[in-house]
Amino acid sequence: MTRKRIGPPHDWGGSDPGRLRHCRKGFRMSGQAKQETPARGRPTRVEIAAQHRLRELLREYFLDLDAAAKDPRRRVAWCTSVGPCEILVAMGFATAFPENHGALLGVRRLSHRFIPYAVSAGYCAESCSYMNADIGAALAGQSPLRDSYGIDGPPRPDLLVYSTNQCREVQDWFSFFGRRHGVPVLGVRPPRQLGAVTAAHVAFVRGELLRLIEQIEAHFGLKLDMGRLEETVALSSRASALWREVLETARARPAPFSFWDGVIHMAPVILLRGSPAAVAYYELLLAEMRQRVREGVGAVPGERFRIYWEGMPVWPRIRELSEKFFELRAAVVASTYCNSWAFEPYAGGDPLEWMARTSIEIFINRDEPTKEAFLVELFERFGVDGVIFHNARTCPNNSNSRFGMPARLREQRGLPVLVIDGDLSDQRFFSTAQTLTNVEAFCEQLEQIQAGPQPRLPANPRAATAANVAGGPA
Amino acid sequence: MTRAAYIGIDAGSSATKCVVIDPAARLLAHAVMPSGFDYGEAAERALAIALDRAGLTPDAIAHCVSTGYGRDRVVAADRHVTEVTCHARGAREWYPQVRSIIDIGGQDTKVIWLNAHGRLADYRMNAKCAAGTGTFLESIALKLGVTLRKIDELALTSTARTVMNSYCTVFTGTEVIERIKAGEPRQDISMGLFRSIAARVFEMLASRDGPVAATGGVVAHCRALVRALEEVLETKVLLPPLPQHAGAYGAALLAREASLTATAPRQHAAGEPLRTELE
Repeated sequence: MTRKRIGPPHDWGGSDPGRLRHCRKGFRMSGQAKQETPARGRPTRVEIAAQHRLRELLREYFLDLDAAAKDPRRRVAWCTSVGPCEILVAMGFATAFPENHGALLGVRRLSHRFIPYAVSAGYCAESCSYMNADIGAALAGQSPLRDSYGIDGPPRPDLLVYSTNQCREVQDWFSFFGRRHGVPVLGVRPPRQLGAVTAAHVAFVRGELLRLIEQIEAHFGLKLDMGRLEETVALSSRASALWREVLETARARPAPFSFWDGVIHMAPVILLRGSPAAVAYYELLLAEMRQRVREGVGAVPGERFRIYWEGMPVWPRIRELSEKFFELRAAVVASTYCNSWAFEPYAGGDPLEWMARTSIEIFINRDEPTKEAFLVELFERFGVDGVIFHNARTCPNNSNSRFGMPARLREQRGLPVLVIDGDLSDQRFFSTAQTLTNVEAFCEQLEQIQAGPQPRLPANPRAATAANVAGGPA
Repeated sequence: MTRAAYIGIDAGSSATKCVVIDPAARLLAHAVMPSGFDYGEAAERALAIALDRAGLTPDAIAHCVSTGYGRDRVVAADRHVTEVTCHARGAREWYPQVRSIIDIGGQDTKVIWLNAHGRLADYRMNAKCAAGTGTFLESIALKLGVTLRKIDELALTSTARTVMNSYCTVFTGTEVIERIKAGEPRQDISMGLFRSIAARVFEMLASRDGPVAATGGVVAHCRALVRALEEVLETKVLLPPLPQHAGAYGAALLAREASLTATAPRQHAAGEPLRTELE
């Protein structure tokens, strides 16, 4: 039996020779009975029906971007993933998100081929691998979008707009492409690492947004229609709220939806933010997830463990990781990453104020105590058994294991915590075998915790001591 | 023949170990051999040798658990369990009071904590890097053109407090050459290498409550490393009689326990998940 391939709207790239090798030799996969063929008796994943619509939606999106870049009457803007895209959408720009291209390069296991181009151009090999892979792919003149959608690659931009609410790297990343294409690079630089978000913070960022609007208007001879911005923000907020509700369905046991689904199905809330299409998509997905909850359908049949994933996905190894978790019947029920686009709702009023507030309230822009409190609340709400921190070697801004948080969670909350080393896009920083063993051992730890405390084993008088060891050299 | 043998096979990145125990948990035989290119083949050969030493045939196998890097390549195994759980189980059998276990293998270094009831409480594994592992020492030994045993012998005669400035295998290799050029005694440089590994272990060892044991092939062959660990941890480090076989021994004990608690040994329900009963 061939296991049905589920999931990604685009090819996750690359075969898995290790897996095939096992199957050819007839070796068992983890936990399987010796008498069984490799796939027999394994629970199968239940496909998310909405993914077919997602695939169409993404095709339409990328083809439209390509068409916009080729149409002299239309303009293309690049924006950071939690940047002020509503302004760009409201002003009629077709909006592209380079981080999506960075992730795609990772998923297709192409990053390590292109990063050397960026390094040879002067970018540090340990800087953001999204940035390096994207710059490298541009220098190499290649893109996985060609295979997926028949387009040359990311659309040529007329404008690049970043917000450093997530990191400073995006500014340098966009600056490269601004120089390359000879187009303006504009940015919003909010206050960083905030504890409480104050009115002064919001007012400052609102001012930055107004300045950004003025710059765009002046450069392109456009005028922002505030009514249109309100509509765009309302749509953006609606899609975000629906996305949050989708994520919330994973509070159910079994969780109908996992992190591995989330990293795929979150695409519209980033790429199509501010569009009716994103709202319609999440209505569809939410209805399906709620039906799963009613019917008791889990993303992981026979869910044994509920895990929280902190940090970025390991895009190049996402298939191996998701299969390992599935095999261990561990559901990754919540994550910081998927929650990054679950903004507070817009209740009318000044859309710029909502944009300013949401852009600095996001997790990545907060201080360590605020992040920790946010995580603990999620751990409790989703009833997680353990937490996995991904220390992404080239993404310090999205790696929260570096200042003692895992140790504090272990000590103060008694939570089992595992830190794995890896990267979001550069697979050279990731050891698959080592990490899968680590994940497996973590589930063994959780299993023993679930089994409860046991009386200490009496000393075995016949234990292998130096006196009774026999049968071969040490 | 009565199925009276419980087998543990540790298909490690460098060496494959096999342990045979009887229903009373007595160690009947053990074997070790290089893992080479084919973990499955190495496991089969180690198993055959161990069974032969125990005077048994494959018919005697009641249950087999595999562990180690190549655990899923072991055809004879009824199930596989990670090295973390197996080393913990093996070390606890030798030292029921042990609370921390340091396993230094060819590819990984692990620090494992047990709770007061002997259950796996927490663990750490090294990052994707050879620093602090057996590979680190092998690489340096190769560079110096000496055996690991020779480095150990030299180190044990050192009286200096030499410490290397790097954990990195590559940078340490360069540093060793620099120190040789500078005329530093070989025994002090050798001891510095073991201190480098011990310092990595120290970083991983967040808690040092209770007795500490060391397992794995590196401590089995390098007593200087045990000395370096004792220096840095400021405590006695327990060294079991068969440190290299601790994982395989733990696997054999888990095989015995799984078999004794199962209604039908060597029969599993379809799709049964990985199970790691310790008790």
